[in-house]
Amino acid sequence: MTPLDHYPVIDLGPLMRGLVIGGLGIFHVFLAQFAIGGGMLLCYLQWLHMQGDCRLARRFTDDYFKLLVLVSFVLGAVTGVAMWFTSIQISPRTIGTMVREFHWVWATEWTFFCLEVVAGYLFYRYGSRLPDRTRLQLLALYAFASWMSLFWINGILSWQLTPGTWLETRDVWAGFFNPGFLPSLIFRTISAAAIAALAACTLVNAVPGFTREERQSLVAICARPLVFMLAMPLVGAWYLGTMPADSRGWATGGSVPMTLFLTMAVGSSTLIGLYAILAILRQRLFVNGATASLLLALAFVATAGGEFVREGVRKPFTIREYLYSNSIARDGVADLRRRGSTADDPYPLRDQAHYPNEQLVLGAKVFRAQCSVCHTLDGMNAVAELAATWSIDQRRLNIAQLQRTKPFMPPFAGTPAEVEAIVQLIGWRHAGRPPGWAVSDDPAVLSQIERWLDEAGTGPGDARLVVGARLP
Amino acid sequence: MNTLFPLGLPAATAFYLCLYLATLVVHLVFMHYVLAGSIYLAVGRVMGRARCQACNWQSIIVDWLPFATGLAITAGVGPLLFAQILYGREFATANLLLSHRWMAILPVLIVCFYLLYLQKSAWIARRAWAWRPAIAATACAGFLFIAWSWTENHLLMLDRAAWPGMYATSSLWYESAGVLPRLAAWCFVAFPSLAIELAWQGRLLGDRLDEPAAANTRVLGLSPVRRLAVTALSGWAGTLLAAWAYWPAIPAAARTAITGPLGGPWLIMAAMALVMQIVAWSITLVSERLTRGMLIVMTAAWVTTLLGIAVLRETIRLAAVDLATGKELHQTALGIGGLPVFLLFAVLNAVAIGWCIRTVRGQLATRSDGT
Repeated sequence: MTPLDHYPVIDLGPLMRGLVIGGLGIFHVFLAQFAIGGGMLLCYLQWLHMQGDCRLARRFTDDYFKLLVLVSFVLGAVTGVAMWFTSIQISPRTIGTMVREFHWVWATEWTFFCLEVVAGYLFYRYGSRLPDRTRLQLLALYAFASWMSLFWINGILSWQLTPGTWLETRDVWAGFFNPGFLPSLIFRTISAAAIAALAACTLVNAVPGFTREERQSLVAICARPLVFMLAMPLVGAWYLGTMPADSRGWATGGSVPMTLFLTMAVGSSTLIGLYAILAILRQRLFVNGATASLLLALAFVATAGGEFVREGVRKPFTIREYLYSNSIARDGVADLRRRGSTADDPYPLRDQAHYPNEQLVLGAKVFRAQCSVCHTLDGMNAVAELAATWSIDQRRLNIAQLQRTKPFMPPFAGTPAEVEAIVQLIGWRHAGRPPGWAVSDDPAVLSQIERWLDEAGTGPGDARLVVGARLP
Repeated sequence: MNTLFPLGLPAATAFYLCLYLATLVVHLVFMHYVLAGSIYLAVGRVMGRARCQACNWQSIIVDWLPFATGLAITAGVGPLLFAQILYGREFATANLLLSHRWMAILPVLIVCFYLLYLQKSAWIARRAWAWRPAIAATACAGFLFIAWSWTENHLLMLDRAAWPGMYATSSLWYESAGVLPRLAAWCFVAFPSLAIELAWQGRLLGDRLDEPAAANTRVLGLSPVRRLAVTALSGWAGTLLAAWAYWPAIPAAARTAITGPLGGPWLIMAAMALVMQIVAWSITLVSERLTRGMLIVMTAAWVTTLLGIAVLRETIRLAAVDLATGKELHQTALGIGGLPVFLLFAVLNAVAIGWCIRTVRGQLATRSDGT
């Protein structure tokens, strides 16, 4: 594996590139889980209808399926493709590695997409003219296929954080059935059931033609899958337990944003669960459209929090112990320390003429190669802001020993001259980007940086050195 | 490059190429329906309400276009996956260079998709007629934008020398003499596909295409069968014209590969199948009848032509990419486990899909018989 593959880097101005994939991911996951849970809920409703336990179920099933098709077949499908394309925009090497290692898994998932689309569309188009048994069969196939798509993609996504023995064996199934696979699958299945139940409660109130009693009856039935949320704390704790200690540390106090996102997810889920179990299922309170919408919005917040945590706690890796978040191979850092991270970069800077000297050009190229996936120069999570109060020697030390400065940062993967170049770039921008800027090439400074680089080594920072007091 | 495609290629590369082409042809079947169908509909809607109502093909297209779009997207996942194994670096680089322009295809696709549903909704039925051509034209423009973006992306993939320069200028448009003729060729070639697919749909929905057409089904004096024949023949005429315009824009090495041992036999096969289609459609145009036997012959020739075109398209690409580097990557990818699982589920899910269609058809037939 090459240490670093150079691709053209997109420029999103003041936006963090990583934030784009996170934002889209939340939206797609929410829609996908709605589709998966929706399939299961519709099967249940159809079955109830056939048992004679709910006379409204068939009609509601047809109404709900239209929404499912319009939302999941269009937005769900296209945002799925969008996730793929956005991943290429943000980190082509990460998605390239995922595709290479799991292409047969992805291809298998694709066969289930095909079944899902055909079974779903046949039900959508002809369901109202089909006998109950055939309707149930189609819905069961649709629900099974959509859940299986979760099954396959869940293995790949959980592998990114907990690749398990794949790191030694490179065996696709060791990677797929990784330590986080099962808790993540169960957790996502429960989430899917809950989202679909809340969407159904919202829809019951939105569809015309039902009396209040009929709505109440349907809400009571559609809300039943929410009872599975009781298992969420247990499964969530299991999932946390499978995470690497440092990743768990970020989410449980080591990183304020990650802890806040986890709190947001847990808090929202708790509120939904409590309301569902105490008010809807136990006291059989009527849930109107506003309340159902609010609960659904809370579910979106919970999904957003959970997905941010899942993405965030992988740091400093994008594939644990294999590929850093800046797409540099873990085993390639030592090589880049010798050769430099920009030596093979064929792409010029777009604003090259604006830099007063070649050292700053080098600094900008180093920033683009190593930092720009998570940082901007002046916008969100700006390097210039983060290093604003550091003295020049602090900048040199902190960047040379990046993994010690912040243990969720990857090690600096370049030469001492590249460290100095990025230090000078930060200084130049702080100075208001003057037209003239002296080149800093003092051999003593470069020797000191080299010593700092050697001291820090080429591996990731040991999180336990920093948050050890809180970690097991 | 001196042996018939894919025989002279490294085994792993050939294997992935075959899978890519097989899945690409399936994708083309649905993609052609969407692209040509949306153009057909936009043009048809402009011709006025009376002509639209007389045209059975427009009704079928309106009814099935959303599903066909869903299938085209789903079927597109397969070739996209294998293309990334085969040409991952080139594909990703072209995506990144086109950047926001490229990503714009996604919101455009969402808007087009919903417009297709809107075209068959009760809402539009209650609106003035002018809404329909406007909506159809917007959806059509969206699909053409997507087709154009794919064409640019594909050609940019092959033009490695242009990458650093394009990045430096921040241009979101790849200018090449090949873009327009290639786009035109892909748009025109979709029409013969649409004609054959509509013919099959018509037959399955009960249209008697092998009998004289009723007077109220004629549009501009053309019977439904003749309209299909005109669609297919004009599509092939446009394709040949666009291909002729595209030829000089193809690099010399790729042209040699197309006419040489690598692609030559495929070119001959595609050309023969094309001639067969032109003859069959010409007979249909004159006779105004399309029998099942004729349709089967046309379909076989059509699939053969599509396969031939897909191989020739790949021949051009193989002449442009670095196969030596790719060979190792493909070999590594092939060594990764999971193929048996894919094959198992591909068969099982194909059976399940077949069962779904057969069961629903059977149930609907039973109901319509009143039994």
